[in-house]
Order: sequence, then structure tokens, then C-alpha cells
Amino acid sequence: MLRPVKMSRVVVAGSKNVIAPVVEKLHELRLLHIVNYNGSQPSFEMGKPIGKAKEYSEDLIKLRSVTRYLDIKNKAPEKTYAESQILSEMDNLLNNVGADITATFERITAIEAEVKTKQDQAKALTPLAVLPLPLDAYYGYDSLATFVGTAASAVDADVARVSPVNEIYSGSAKNATFVAIFVPIEKAGDVSAVLSEHGFSEISVPKLEGSVDSAIATLEGGIKSLEGEKAPLQKKLADMKKQYEDLMLATDEYLSMQTQKTEAPLRFAETANAFVIDGWVPSDQFSRLKSELESAAGGKVDVQLIDDKEAEDLVEKGEDVPTKIDNPSLVKPYELVTRLFAIPEYKEFDPSLLIFIFFPIMFGMILGDIGYGVMSLLVLLMLKKKFRTDGWQQLINIVMIASVWSIIFGIFFGEIFGPLGLWGRIMGHLPEHELEAAKHAGLYFGEGVFGSLGRIGFWGIDIFPMDRLATNAVLLLIGTSIFIGVIHCSVGSIFGIMTELNYGEKKHAYFERLPVMLFQVFFAITLLGLVMGQMMMVYIGAIVIVVSIVMNVMGPEGAMGLAHVPSYVSNLISYLRLLAIGLASVGLAYAANQLAFYVIMPMLSGGATDSAEFSIPAIIVGILVLFAVHFINFLLGILSPFMHPLRLHYVEMFTKFYSAHGGGVEYSPFGHVRRFLKA
Amino acid sequence: MAVVADAGTLYGLLAVGAGLATGLAGIGAGVGEQGIGAAVVGVVAEEPGFLGKGLFLMLLPETLIIFGLAVSLILMFAWTPFSGIVTP
Repeated sequence: MLRPVKMSRVVVAGSKNVIAPVVEKLHELRLLHIVNYNGSQPSFEMGKPIGKAKEYSEDLIKLRSVTRYLDIKNKAPEKTYAESQILSEMDNLLNNVGADITATFERITAIEAEVKTKQDQAKALTPLAVLPLPLDAYYGYDSLATFVGTAASAVDADVARVSPVNEIYSGSAKNATFVAIFVPIEKAGDVSAVLSEHGFSEISVPKLEGSVDSAIATLEGGIKSLEGEKAPLQKKLADMKKQYEDLMLATDEYLSMQTQKTEAPLRFAETANAFVIDGWVPSDQFSRLKSELESAAGGKVDVQLIDDKEAEDLVEKGEDVPTKIDNPSLVKPYELVTRLFAIPEYKEFDPSLLIFIFFPIMFGMILGDIGYGVMSLLVLLMLKKKFRTDGWQQLINIVMIASVWSIIFGIFFGEIFGPLGLWGRIMGHLPEHELEAAKHAGLYFGEGVFGSLGRIGFWGIDIFPMDRLATNAVLLLIGTSIFIGVIHCSVGSIFGIMTELNYGEKKHAYFERLPVMLFQVFFAITLLGLVMGQMMMVYIGAIVIVVSIVMNVMGPEGAMGLAHVPSYVSNLISYLRLLAIGLASVGLAYAANQLAFYVIMPMLSGGATDSAEFSIPAIIVGILVLFAVHFINFLLGILSPFMHPLRLHYVEMFTKFYSAHGGGVEYSPFGHVRRFLKA
Repeated sequence: MAVVADAGTLYGLLAVGAGLATGLAGIGAGVGEQGIGAAVVGVVAEEPGFLGKGLFLMLLPETLIIFGLAVSLILMFAWTPFSGIVTP
């Protein structure tokens, strides 16, 4: 659980006659993480594809282009197909259906292009309506140059100056002046120069006939009929998508699997008559792999386990041992958080279990509200049905477990939608005189009660339900946050020490990782001693802190290690965010309740102080305000309790043990998880 | 001991100090985050899958404001150097 699954290095060697059944079996078993042969041995060549590799990949390309036309994306399967069914329908699907889809799609593209051209033409024609010329007057001259466009100022006089022979039409529309100028072709250059002084910009006139208005009407008629043709074609594509979506994805899966199998030998080493496959397999699965392969190949294959020492040599030479992280189903979602950071190396720890323990507690401590917890559970249950991909499901599970914790902490904190909220109304609160007494004694931790149980606490101090905004509670939570930080960081440090020992780096373990832990634990003990007034604890703490700093200096980094010492303290202070972010959201909730119950509702009811006297409109406005502010607070309240504990894990904890030696390679066995195909 | 300043003034100064600690730390965190934020928005525009990592990176400088807040909390709740002079 905490460590990746133990792996063994195996070599599979056999006669080339049985390569096909061996590949088939390996693909079915999904056990062997193949190490690609790099061609470094002179007596072995790289393998060549077997069977119909080329045909399969051609079919796959054909299929993928069709699925792209239909805009089919990967999704959760609705029905599954047997391989025989795929085989019988594939030919029809790829050729007849595929050709139909391609033709339809191409026709739609052509229509769209034609509509675009016609729209552009109509757009260019519209301004010409202000000029009194039919469209065929604009083109077809041998001895005349034509200029059609907009001009910023009147051009007649200047054009007449350079070309006495001319014909000028002008008209204005939409704050622009449109001109059409006809001059002898030999004057074209001069006229063009003159026009540019007047800010002339040319319009290209489409070569059409008749009046401008009738030409536009014709174009629009054309566009309409094209659109009319396009709509049923699009519907046809949509219908085909509905009909063939799952079948196409299943065929894609089948073809991908076949390509994978036929191309597998590219990763093997081969001689004229034999093949060799290197790979890693989970140690407890080796005997199964061996017996299954031997029976599939009728004994013509040899599956050898390489002993640990030899495997160690291969790792030294740069081969990566794949990491297979394996956790119980409750912890599985938290692998997502681990993966987001990095896959651990084979010899490192898999921190998913730790995240499972700490993350929800931290989330709960920050959010800590029954109302918000229940709301987020409900929202997530809805999302869980909607987002069915693995990643989303894992994310939703993470937040669901965390929401349960926030309900638990909500009970400790006595909060249902914030302090002053529903808790007091449901569970009641302390009588006035007891409240005064607690405040007077400096032991005020809030005014809520657990119904008839009253307040609960220990050592004579009734701490729960704890109002997080009370001074005493803030101080207590500061201590608790740092305490959680010390535990969290220490667990990280212990893992760090064990990881370094796994790699055989004793010096790093005892003089780099251990001092951090000593420093942080005894720093906390010193603080506790100061708070409790126990000078003995302070002295012991101070001595150990000095020792740990000395150890650090003796470590691999030498005096440079001193530079890290401030960060040991700042690591711990960073855990104050557990308190701080919680306070921010409690503060907002408190403000909302205060505003609604103690400001808006009394004000709108004409100064009534008792909730029984509030008028109906006052209650409605109050509830609207409550709803709005709590909704905003809820959105913020889901995001930051998620991101901040994540940061505490990644920055404060993982850095103590993780990836000191570089990221790992995830175990990905040769094979395929069937989704659309029946096994 | 002679009373140097009245309790109200000293408590007020403490509160101002606490406010400055959190406020200035907040500005610092904001300055730190602006560059990261701009970069993250740029990356997310290119590759939406980076959003989670980007949000996480944006949180890194927020430790600064936590330090400021810690100082404020200590000033307001746990710092009693003037107890001798403040209490009459």
C-alpha cells in the first residue's frame, strides 16, 4: 500500500513459430511491462511486425477520418460488442457507411464555401446600390480603366485635371462616398495617384449582370436554397452519429488492439529463428505468467526469472523499474493527487494513503460546517452521475470524503451555515448567566450546546461546540494547526529517512532528513513549554534544536545546510493556513447571518427584536441575502480548502521524502483494457 | 511604575500594527501572484488541462500572507509586553 508493488525482471524467449500466440496471450494477460529492445546487441536485431499490421493501420486511419467528420469523441460505453460482430460489420462500416459519411461531409463543406462566396459578393454589392449603373457596366472594357470604391473627399475636379476625358458617378450611404470612375486606360496611373490623395479605397465588383438589387436578390435566393440543402445533410450526419457512434468506437478499439499486437515485435529482440522479450512483472504474478505463456505456446517458449542481483545490475545500467501503485478502493481516488505531482520511483514511497488520511481532515478543519458539508455532498452526488470519466469520478470521490469530514468538524465547531446560523435555533445555546461566567473566567469558547447534553469538553473546560471566532478558540486552533503541521512534516521526514536508507544513502538519511524532523518536533515542544510555562521543556527543546542544526552542518551540504534552517520554521507556520482560511470563511458566514438576522430583518420589520415579530417581506429579503452570501461563500469554501491542503502536501510534506532521485515510470503492462469490446 | 501612555492608545497601536502586518503581507503576496497569474492564464489558454497545476502554483506565494497573519494574531492575542504599563 505504502510501497509500490514488488516487481521481478523476466525474460521470455521462444521460437518464432509461436510468436503470434505468445503476443496474443501477453496482450490478454496484461501483466508484462515490456522493456523495449534498443538494438544494442550485435547478434540480435529489432523485431518486425507480424501479420496484417499495415492493413490494420490503414483501416484505422480510414476509420479515424470518418469519426472526425462525425465529431465522435471518446465517451463512456453504452453498449458493448463481440469481436465477431465487429469483424462482420467492419467492412460495411469502413467502405459503404464511411464513403457515405465522407461524401455528405464534403458536400456540406462545399455548400458552406459557396454560401460564404455568395455572402461576400452580396456584401460587396450592397453599397453599389447608390450608384445608378447596372452591374454589367463595371467590367468588360478594353480601352477604359475602372475605379470603384470609397473616397474621403470629392474627386471630380482632380480627376478632370489629369484626365479631361472621364465619366464619374458618385453617391453616398452610411457616412461614406462611393464613386465609380471611368477613364481612358492610358491615364489609369495618373488617376490612381490622384485618387490615393483623396483616401480612395477600392471595392472589387463581382462580375454579375442586371441591376444591383436584383443581383443581391438572386444571391440571397441562392444562399437560401443552399442552406435548405445543408440542413437535411447535417441532420443525416447527426442521425448517423447516433446510429454508429458506439460501433465506431468499438471498431476503433478493435483495430487499435490489433495494431498493438501486430506491432509488438518491434519492441522485441529477434534472431533468424527466435525472439526475446525483456520485461517486468509483479513478483506474485510470475508463476501465472509462466504457466499461461507455456501452455499458449505449447512448450516452445522459455520464461525465465532473473535473480535480484542481476536485475540490480540492469537497473544500475539505466533500466527503470516500473512503479505499480496499488491501494484499496477507498484510497484509490487519492492516487490522482499523487499522480498530479509525480509517479514515485520504485524504491520510493507511494504517499496516496497519507493523503487519504491527512487531506480530508485538513479540508474538514478548514470548511468545518455541517450546512456546507451537506450541500457539497448533494452537489457532488449530482455531478457524479453527470461526469462519468475516471478522472472526474476520482476528483469527486476525493471531495466527497472530505465533505464528510467537514460535517464532522462542523459538529465540533457547532456551525450550520456559519455561527449565529441554524445551530443555535436547532440545538439551543447557553443561558445568559453561564455565558457571562465563562467570559469572566476567560474560558469563553462559544455559546452553542449539544441540545440537552450541554457543552462538552475536558479538564473542566467546555470547549465544544467551539465558536471559531472566539479569542480562546483562535489561540487553541493556532496550536492545533502547528501541531498537525509537526505530525504531517514528521511523517514526511520519517518517509524521507527510510527512502534514503532504501537507496543506501546513510549520510543523507541521518544528517539531512533526520535533523529536519528533530528541529521541527523540538521547536514545537519549546513553544509548548513557553505557553505552559514549563521551562524544563524549553531547555530540552533548545538543546535538541542546537544539536539538530549542528547535525545539519555535519551533513552532506555542510555549512550551506544552515540556509535551510529558516524554512523549517516557515514550513510549520505555513500550517496556520488551516486556521486562517477557515476563519475567513467563518467570518463571511458570520457576517451574512448577522446582516440577515440582526440588521435587515429587524430593520424591515420596523425595529422588532424578537424573531417572532419579523414581518413576512422582511423574512423574504433576509433569506435572499442569506442565500446570495452563503452561495458565494460556499463556492469559495470548496475551492480554497481543496487547494491549500494540496499545497501543504506538495510543498511542505512531499519535499521531505519524494522524488529525491527523480520521477518514476508507471507500470503499463502490454495489453488493452476493453471498454467497447466484450472480453 | 509610571504610566507612559494610556491603555487605549497602546491597544490601538497594537491593532494598527496588526493591520499593517496582514495588509502589507497581502500586498506582497499579491505582487508575487500577479506574475504567476499572468503566466498561468497564458498557459491555460494554450492548454486547458494545466488549470489545476496553475491554480496550485498561484497559491505558492500565499504563504507570505499567512506569515503576516501569524504576526497579527500574535500581536492581537498573545503579545503582552505592555501588560505592566497597560494595566493600571
